Amino acid sequence: MRFAYTFADMKKLSENCKENVKSLKSILTSEDILVFQFETKDKKACAAVYADGITDKMLLGEQVAKPLSEKTAPKTAEEAAKLLQSPENKREKDFTKISDEVLAGNTALFIDGIAEAVIVGVKKLSMRAVMEPPTSVAVKGPREGFIEDIKTNMSLIRNRLRTPKLNFITMQVGKQSKTNVCVGYLEGIADKKIVEKIESKIKSIEIDGIPDSSYIGKFLAEHHYSLFKQAGTTEKPDVLAAKMLEGRIAVLVDGSPIAVTLPYLLAEDFQGPQDYFVSPYRASVSRLLRFLAVFVSIFLPAFYVAAQLFKLQLLPFGFLLTISGSIQDIPLSPSLELFFLLLVLEILIEASVRMPKYVALALSVIGALVLGDTAVKAGIVSSSAIIIMALSGISAYTVPDLVGTISILRLVFVVVAGSIGTYGILLMTALLLFYMITADAYGTPMLAPFSPIVRKDLKDSLFKVTMTDLKTRPTVFKTKNKTRLKINEEAKDGQD
Amino acid sequence: MDKIKIRQICFLFAVMMPVTKMLIYPTTIAYTAKNDLLFSALINLAIEGVVIGLLMLLAKKTRLSFFGLVENTFGKVAAKIVYGIFALFFFISALLPLTEQKVFVMQVFYENVPSIISFAPFFFVSFYACVKGFKCIGRAADIAMPVFAVAFTVIMLLSVPHADFGALLPVEAVPFKSIVKGSLSSFNWFTDCAFLLFFMGNFEYEKNSAKRVIGSFAIGGAAVLLFLATFYGIFADIAVRQQNTIAQIAKYTTSFTSLGRIDLLFIFALTLVMIFYLCVPLQMCVHCVRKVFNDCRPAIPSAAVNALMLGMMILLNYFFNEMQQIMLRGWYFYALFAYAVPLLALLLKKEAAHE
Amino acid sequence: MNKLWMRVFLIGTAVLLLLFFSNDFGLIDIQETAIVIAIGVDKSQEEGKYDVTAQIAVPASTGSGTAGNVTVEGASTVGEAVTELNHKTGWYPTLVHCKLILLGMDVADENVFDPIDFFLRSGTVEDTCLVAMCEKTAKETFQATSPVKDISSSAIAKVLSSEAQKTGLVSVTNLKNFAKNYYSVSRSGFLPVVSVKQEAESQGSESQQPVSYQRNEEELAASGPFLSRNKWWKPKRDPLPLAAETAAKGDSGQSGGKSSGGGEEKADVFDATKTLMLYEGKSVAMLTPDETLAFNMAGTDTHYAFGSVTLEENEGPVTYDLKMRINHKTQKLSFENGKPVFTFHIRASAKIVDSSKADSILNITKTDLVPDKVLRAAEVKFEEQLTSIIEKSAETDCDIFNIKQKLYRSHYKQFARYKDSILTDAVVRYDIRFSSMK
Repeated sequence: MRFAYTFADMKKLSENCKENVKSLKSILTSEDILVFQFETKDKKACAAVYADGITDKMLLGEQVAKPLSEKTAPKTAEEAAKLLQSPENKREKDFTKISDEVLAGNTALFIDGIAEAVIVGVKKLSMRAVMEPPTSVAVKGPREGFIEDIKTNMSLIRNRLRTPKLNFITMQVGKQSKTNVCVGYLEGIADKKIVEKIESKIKSIEIDGIPDSSYIGKFLAEHHYSLFKQAGTTEKPDVLAAKMLEGRIAVLVDGSPIAVTLPYLLAEDFQGPQDYFVSPYRASVSRLLRFLAVFVSIFLPAFYVAAQLFKLQLLPFGFLLTISGSIQDIPLSPSLELFFLLLVLEILIEASVRMPKYVALALSVIGALVLGDTAVKAGIVSSSAIIIMALSGISAYTVPDLVGTISILRLVFVVVAGSIGTYGILLMTALLLFYMITADAYGTPMLAPFSPIVRKDLKDSLFKVTMTDLKTRPTVFKTKNKTRLKINEEAKDGQD
Repeated sequence: MDKIKIRQICFLFAVMMPVTKMLIYPTTIAYTAKNDLLFSALINLAIEGVVIGLLMLLAKKTRLSFFGLVENTFGKVAAKIVYGIFALFFFISALLPLTEQKVFVMQVFYENVPSIISFAPFFFVSFYACVKGFKCIGRAADIAMPVFAVAFTVIMLLSVPHADFGALLPVEAVPFKSIVKGSLSSFNWFTDCAFLLFFMGNFEYEKNSAKRVIGSFAIGGAAVLLFLATFYGIFADIAVRQQNTIAQIAKYTTSFTSLGRIDLLFIFALTLVMIFYLCVPLQMCVHCVRKVFNDCRPAIPSAAVNALMLGMMILLNYFFNEMQQIMLRGWYFYALFAYAVPLLALLLKKEAAHE
Repeated sequence: MNKLWMRVFLIGTAVLLLLFFSNDFGLIDIQETAIVIAIGVDKSQEEGKYDVTAQIAVPASTGSGTAGNVTVEGASTVGEAVTELNHKTGWYPTLVHCKLILLGMDVADENVFDPIDFFLRSGTVEDTCLVAMCEKTAKETFQATSPVKDISSSAIAKVLSSEAQKTGLVSVTNLKNFAKNYYSVSRSGFLPVVSVKQEAESQGSESQQPVSYQRNEEELAASGPFLSRNKWWKPKRDPLPLAAETAAKGDSGQSGGKSSGGGEEKADVFDATKTLMLYEGKSVAMLTPDETLAFNMAGTDTHYAFGSVTLEENEGPVTYDLKMRINHKTQKLSFENGKPVFTFHIRASAKIVDSSKADSILNITKTDLVPDKVLRAAEVKFEEQLTSIIEKSAETDCDIFNIKQKLYRSHYKQFARYKDSILTDAVVRYDIRFSSMK
């Protein structure tokens, strides 16, 4: 529900151009809201109210002022709209809506004798070009990425899904920001119930502003306190199109280059976009490597601590002697040592994200030499712990979308291993698994297709089969249109 | 919350059921039945298999749960009483396996025996699992299947080369009475069939479900028998000394390699499956308690059951042998609830089921 | 998340962090742990007591380390000695990496299981550890210096390794198998006998570290990273004490001594080609190296062996060294006319590795084709050695081939009648055939 801002909002438009301008200016008092006054051929006053900086003045002149000044004044707003050379225009009578349009970059045109405003779309927003997203680099495959403009993003999707079944539902969210949010889905493929649920959830958001799509992601989450993501994200239109073709629903937010997808499966973070452009064997190996890397990242520090404190037998004898020798003069216990090192790792990562480019070299030197080499020589930490920490840190970045979760889990497991031991690691794993297997969202289990096992979907999970074998969409999304690939039998025989 | 699939029940019997029989059970049965331990185990497995088969037959004929069947026949109050008694049964039947696991954990996972504080967090995990219901059991079975398949296969591959299966001979040396005694004293390890009674009404009976469940149980039973045979083949006359057998049988291959005791990683994986499985009787207990109290919210009964169990374990911490002796002798208690009552359930009033 | 769960979560986290940072509920830190890699048991001078020597690994930050020996004398049991180790030194001995149990020869005069059942009772010592006897005392054997500067127990373990088993010259057994045999109907067993020989010489230098060192008190106080480390909040520990006579030996350069700083030093090699036969835990007979080879080829898991046969030829006696591969071996107990018959069925192939006399180039080329006379001689020698073992077995009741066990398992009905006399009553047959390897 939207409310009128002032008493002026509640006023109706008059046929007097100047009065209308005055009323609108009483709502939009900011100095960057300007008025361009001109006359028609028969000397009728016209005024265009626009926001400086986000309006294309050239277009305003060409498409609005010029045609009107060369003709006699139109009698109605409809007539006026036909005179203009802009394809994007509409008529408004509500001052609140008129002010919203001006703030969005459109121009409000008032003409003497017409008690209606014509809203002309002559926006000119500064935005960056479509380019490869920095967080999702592909050696093979498309290099387009979403940008902050929702319309451009929608066009990128439209370009890839040229079907009338592609629907977009747009809404405005945020009392102050009035951010455009768009829900995109493929009719007949996406589950309509989930679309409606998402739409109603977005509409029920009452917040001042939505700076980024992650806000929408949080509101759409069904388990608000979960450590795990509840929605998938992507910056690439090809990935988003592929996800939509599997039955997912996309949510785009104006001002954010990251699209949100629902429902979410944990397995999708282990699937890289490049997996579909390379050989399936390579893709399978890559996915297994990612899974192994995440496993190593979370469990290796914990097992290292637990082995030293609780179960020496876990370590091969030669390695045990080496570790025992290297930790001889270390003042900290193994658990504290590794906890400290993991904290240092997190600090380094945070600093490297925030630091200016110019000090990058100095920080690298500090990180590598001082914190690594010198700390070992000084006997503060052991070299084996540094190796464990480094391996764990690097492994986490094989799945960048899960880095945050992995970092927290890693610390938790180290604390558990240091306090309860090897059995504690197992108990924590069991607890985590119990949590994950029961964390359904939008009717979709997060750990599908592993738990519950969905046999058909396993073909594109930890390993990937050839493209010709992916004939059906993922069953877990309960789409009615199950077939996505049909092989022409004649063509197939011909290939043999 | 309480839905489970046939496939998940199959996994429960095929991969989760064998794990609790790999701790102290082999040693116990080797003590009584000696080299004829396979026959003792076969008797137990056969009895359980028959009960499972008949329960699947019952499930085919009715869509009601066990509570519904008893309610149909004797009324709601009687149904609640029965469920209350079964809650007690599941609580008691969980006691020995949990204590076994505690002993196993203390000896295998730690070198310096710590206090019970290392095992107590299990009950927090179990509490969470109890709150989540049958869906949690089913999905845990889905995860347990590949973990068990890989870990058990590796353990067996490492163990079988060191097994002298001739140790199982001669067949006639042990009197039949000892074999039967071994079976009777093992009833407490073979009460898994009772779970199926309570799964009834919570799964959809599909075509060939009975065959699949019985087949899965047969696979689990075969895994148990293979383990027992390998165990006795490796240890023969010193089998009675081996506690925590799953941690003992594979070490003869790995102990002198440069990687050391790599079999421990697979033992840890099997322990994870064990954790899943040991939560099941507690989940059943909570399920029964909830039914008694008109399907109340699960948090309070879960907390109560797990707190009580933790208290019992602390209390019985120094009486493991005595408790074990009582449980081994009380075979009739297990036979009544795990075998007799499920068979009697066949006689309860059913509604006509859709085929 | 409501308030109750938030409180539960916070309390749980606090408890966990408390446990984590205090880390002090009875655990033993790795830095206070003495890693025992071998244990030796000798009979003490006091009647009914034992001297227990523990070889403890000294960690080094660059890979392999060295080891130190600690002896506790006059202990009633091995368990008491291990506890004494902890009590006297403050270092907690961990036995999980104990790979070798070495028994002095005098221990086998009485039941060896008297001292070693500690290892069966202990949940920490793995029964995968090797068990062996030694000709001298275990303490002296541990002080030996290997020519490649190995820790002595590692060197012994190498001599008893699976690689060594492939030569067929060593009979290897671990605690589990030894105990299995002891507790079986056979009540018999065997142990390899490790002897120390000063054969190899190596050039020493001042910078060389001793492999098995005996340091005196001053050296202990001044150095030894593993002996004197401490954490800033923990008081300094006393160094591990060594046996008095060991300290007194000091610089004397006894067998297994320290580096003498320039010049030659004698190194020791280990030999385990003899095998001790035990019945009910007591030693009853010794197998010679040839008998050990025959025993391994016929009765254990050995599939490869190296042996030699000597033939009288025109030019005189010629010794042929053979590499043998056992293709098939079984021992079968059967009954013929009510009498037990024990048959060795062995099929092996051989090739000539070397001979004591130079041969023609053609014969050298055809080294894989072993002349029949050599094969027959090998068969005869093999049979002779097996007969010798069987005779020793019958004399001493040591059922080294587990004939009683076979009787029990396969002929249970005859067991009661023959269980005490099977070794003497059984007729032994040999079906041994050697062929060329190619």
